Amino acid sequence: MSWNNRTRIKPGDQAILKLPSGLLKPIEIKPNTIISIGKFGSFHTNSLIGRPFWRTYDILDLKDGEKHARLRVVPASDLNSETLSVDNTPQDDAPVKEDAEAAASANEKFDIVGEDGSIIMRNNRLTVDDTSRQALTMTEIEELKNAGTGSGKEVIAKIMAAHSALGEKTEFSLAKYTLRKSKKFLKRFTVLPMEVGTVAEYIMDKDSSRIMELRPESLGLVASWSNAHHAGNLDQVEGNPTQGRYMVVDDTGGLLVATLAERMGILYPPASEKEPTEQPDPDTNQDDDAMPDQVESTTDAHSGPSRPNPKDTYQAATSNTITVIHPHTQPNLSLLRYFGYILEDTSSSSHPLYSHLHNITWLQLLDPSADTVYSNPPPAVDADTLASWKPSKRGQHFRKLRRHTRTQRVADTTRAGGFDSLVVASFMQPASVLRHLVPLVKGGGQIVVYSPSIEPLTELMDYYSRERRGAYMKMMQERVATGLDVETCMDDEEEDFPVNPTLLLNPMLQTSRVVEWQVLPGRTHPLMTSRGGPEGYVFSATRVLPAIGKVNAKGNFSKKRKAEETVSESPKKLRVEHVEQTKETAATVVGADA
Amino acid sequence: MPTSSPFLTPCATTTSNTLALISLKRDETIPALLHAPTPTDPSDPIANTRFGSYPHSTLLHLPWGTQVAASNVGARERKRGKKRKLAEVNNNPANASTTTAQEDETPAQEEPAFEAAASGFAHIVPPTPETWTASLPHRTQVVYTPDASYILQRIRARPGDKVIEAGAGSGSFTHAAVRCVFNGYPNSGDDEKVIRGRVYSFEYHEPRFQALQNEIKEHGLDGVVTVQHADVYAQGFSGAQDVTAIFLDLPAPWMAMSHLTRGGPTQGGPLHSDRPVCICSFSPCIEQAQRAAAKLRELGWVDVGMAAVQQRRIEVRRERIGLMEEGLRGVTAVPATVGEALGRLRELEGKTAVFNAKRKKNDKRDKGAINGHTTEMDVDARSGTVGDGAVNGHHENGEDMMSKKGLPSGSKQQRLKNNLEAAKARKLYKEGRLTHRTEPELKTHTSYLVFGMLPPEWTEEDETKAVAESLAFEKQEVQKRDKVEEVES
Ligand SMILES: C[S@@+](CC[C@H](N)C(=O)[O-])C[C@H]1O[C@@H](n2cnc3c(N)ncnc32)[C@H](O)[C@@H]1O
Repeated sequence: MSWNNRTRIKPGDQAILKLPSGLLKPIEIKPNTIISIGKFGSFHTNSLIGRPFWRTYDILDLKDGEKHARLRVVPASDLNSETLSVDNTPQDDAPVKEDAEAAASANEKFDIVGEDGSIIMRNNRLTVDDTSRQALTMTEIEELKNAGTGSGKEVIAKIMAAHSALGEKTEFSLAKYTLRKSKKFLKRFTVLPMEVGTVAEYIMDKDSSRIMELRPESLGLVASWSNAHHAGNLDQVEGNPTQGRYMVVDDTGGLLVATLAERMGILYPPASEKEPTEQPDPDTNQDDDAMPDQVESTTDAHSGPSRPNPKDTYQAATSNTITVIHPHTQPNLSLLRYFGYILEDTSSSSHPLYSHLHNITWLQLLDPSADTVYSNPPPAVDADTLASWKPSKRGQHFRKLRRHTRTQRVADTTRAGGFDSLVVASFMQPASVLRHLVPLVKGGGQIVVYSPSIEPLTELMDYYSRERRGAYMKMMQERVATGLDVETCMDDEEEDFPVNPTLLLNPMLQTSRVVEWQVLPGRTHPLMTSRGGPEGYVFSATRVLPAIGKVNAKGNFSKKRKAEETVSESPKKLRVEHVEQTKETAATVVGADA
Repeated sequence: MPTSSPFLTPCATTTSNTLALISLKRDETIPALLHAPTPTDPSDPIANTRFGSYPHSTLLHLPWGTQVAASNVGARERKRGKKRKLAEVNNNPANASTTTAQEDETPAQEEPAFEAAASGFAHIVPPTPETWTASLPHRTQVVYTPDASYILQRIRARPGDKVIEAGAGSGSFTHAAVRCVFNGYPNSGDDEKVIRGRVYSFEYHEPRFQALQNEIKEHGLDGVVTVQHADVYAQGFSGAQDVTAIFLDLPAPWMAMSHLTRGGPTQGGPLHSDRPVCICSFSPCIEQAQRAAAKLRELGWVDVGMAAVQQRRIEVRRERIGLMEEGLRGVTAVPATVGEALGRLRELEGKTAVFNAKRKKNDKRDKGAINGHTTEMDVDARSGTVGDGAVNGHHENGEDMMSKKGLPSGSKQQRLKNNLEAAKARKLYKEGRLTHRTEPELKTHTSYLVFGMLPPEWTEEDETKAVAESLAFEKQEVQKRDKVEEVES
């Protein structure tokens, strides 16, 4: 069992409160802390400890002698029956109840049944919409609330009783009225655990640009087309020493990484309960030999006495991994902290991402020799000298050494390619990203690119268009025919072919939009408002190995970019004799697509 | 070696007895369970497609994603006939050009190898739930990726989880679901403690049940998917255990819902005894969806809501407009700008003037001779699409009205010819304006998705206990604080 599967709230947990208004509020369950949820009241964290996530709580009124308000777990039947009264119309055979909680959690839900009752037309012709009909004044209502006579429900009852025109109201509008009131006065909240969906919703409400306005439906598409999933438990699959390596370019603050990690089973730390903790794959600690032996024997400030140094497992997993390529020296994956992971922090060493999340810079990937950490190992020191050093100096030396070794290992394995998928949600030009990263994906692997707006992706589709691919193949054939060096690429060719268009099969561009509905007996219809903003588009394609393998696999790299060539897929694997089939390839592939 | 599914843990290359997909073009993918000849079954099945024939032997042992040429199956048949005549004297002649290098490595073949056909290519790609959904044999309506991806996310199907699916139908959703919950194959031995994900799939239609069960086996998924032949309305979900996510694609989902009770010592239902359980019921009609929602509420599920997914695939193309496009394919040959239109009209005026002047001359010289026929120019002038000025420069003075080849330079024929010639030097793939539009086939409605959640169990007992614990905790804290204060004072 891991973190998210746990149902009981424990001290130190992160959680998100959902308020009656639909607002989300992340909190930490620190013992002995008062948590205030504004007009909805406040409560004491201790009264949540040991109680379940996912449940909705009423804040009860203070009784004599009580220091803190008590909480009541609201039964599901209560949540569903708040408007039962209106739903006993015999038109439906199944007894139907209104979903007050759902209503409360999405403010639009009932407000959309406009005050003029556009949907209710039949009976409310005579109702007069006039605030004067509310016999209680706002101040009186406030007083009622403050008098502590009820957890909101009572207030609502009083208000309802005081409403002179209630008799005139239709059943429907009465229900609506009750609900609108409950949203305002119920001291109620739901406790949700930290999950990708909830965190995404929270950030979307607060600062949607931070996650590139990634809607849940787009996220679902991206995750599905990326084919990201758990790598399984086979020690080795025939011919495939590693399984489940995903490459990611993430400008969503880590939401993309979190989504993939959730699919791969490496997002949630194992629960600290007594359940057997699951190691997502057996070779987490395989890379011991990557570190010089001395490391083991030195006393490192952070290492426990007998356990292997957690720093040795940092980014050391070889299967079920995510490799993030980032433009700054450090990646921005700050959202991962909601899931208990802080990058490069040994306090996170028990988190699965600690060994399974790798990261390197574009420089380390494309021109590692220009990167100081990669190319400059700290000078070798013999044991005696080491022993003579002060612990702090020794610690520093090993930190450097470890960093160098890790950087080199991650960069080298990344450059060797063979990734299962490439997933991109980035502000950078898609073509510039794909140009370098597609060759690192293995044949049959998936390429997925998300963009909030369509233009960057229409451009990308155009670079992989049938016509451009045809022209590219023609160019390559001519080059082969005239004995030209296929590995040189003229500058104008680079301009015409920013990517090698033969490396991707079936490029597809799509968008998806979810329309939420209100579903109530006799009043079922789509919600009348929803979030505008960017639609969100997803490009997907399959990496293939074109028959004119040698030419195409490397043709797109110019001489001045030697670094990339080593990065690109080893041409030896591709069949050389297919160069001779080039003509057919061009003719038939274009034909097949026509 | 335990079974390994090409969906979940693919080998590096295509192998015998493994599902592979032959991708011919977009939306045209053919599944093939590859078969290598064995002593008991020496056959070499051939996948025949619109784009050629692919004997399995030419598809085996290739890295995934490889582009494969179609084979000339007929040629081999003829050769085989010859070969038989030649008897076994000639040991496997090397003249046949094999379609794959890997074939060389396979043990000596007695059959002559296939020759590449003159045309036809395919890519051999590994199956994924997406490619499978697009290529599977339809036995029923199926759930497509836009819906499945959204549903699986919302019902929180994650590695290690147990999922119920009913009815299984064509198994499209099954494959998407198993990818989500997979966290390893059930292994004998060491890792008994690890909870493995599983899909419990139910189908009451016998032939469909059989077909799916076979597929699941062929796909190496039998360890992680259990297909059961049962009527879930009447019999419920027996065999399923510890389930935390449910997907119902049934005509009357409400009839199955009352069977969704929690497990544990007292109840013995299919659902996890403690954890929250998420459900999605998928119905094309709104009446079904409403009844499903009502039933869920009645049974104590909360957060009951409904959604519909609308997906569009988008086509990207270059739109080339302009007079220089005349005669080329897939273009709009109207003037691109007012300027171009003006230029063309002016040119036309000029030509007409020259022509008229000439005619006058001719008329004087040879009265009546022209009356018998209409010239090319008249036709063009009437159709209003005269001239090639935009591309080929203007011929203001009409001096070179006749080109060297003898065609009138202003003639439509000549213009088209010029345009075609000019197009060869153009990079058409990057000209024009980049546009996008919804693809012609648009699915506007698939189904209504009714979602709900069964919150964790919470009994009176739990409540009493929690209150007591909370009070005790409080007291303890107060004592702690008092102690601290004592020490401090
Ligand atoms: C629309 S299909 C499901 C398609 C499936 N979700 C897919 O993606 O391929 C519905 C299936 O439910 C089955 N079914 C209907 N009533 C059933 C019942 N009471 N028990 C089990 N299966 C049932 C039908 O035989 C049919 O195959």
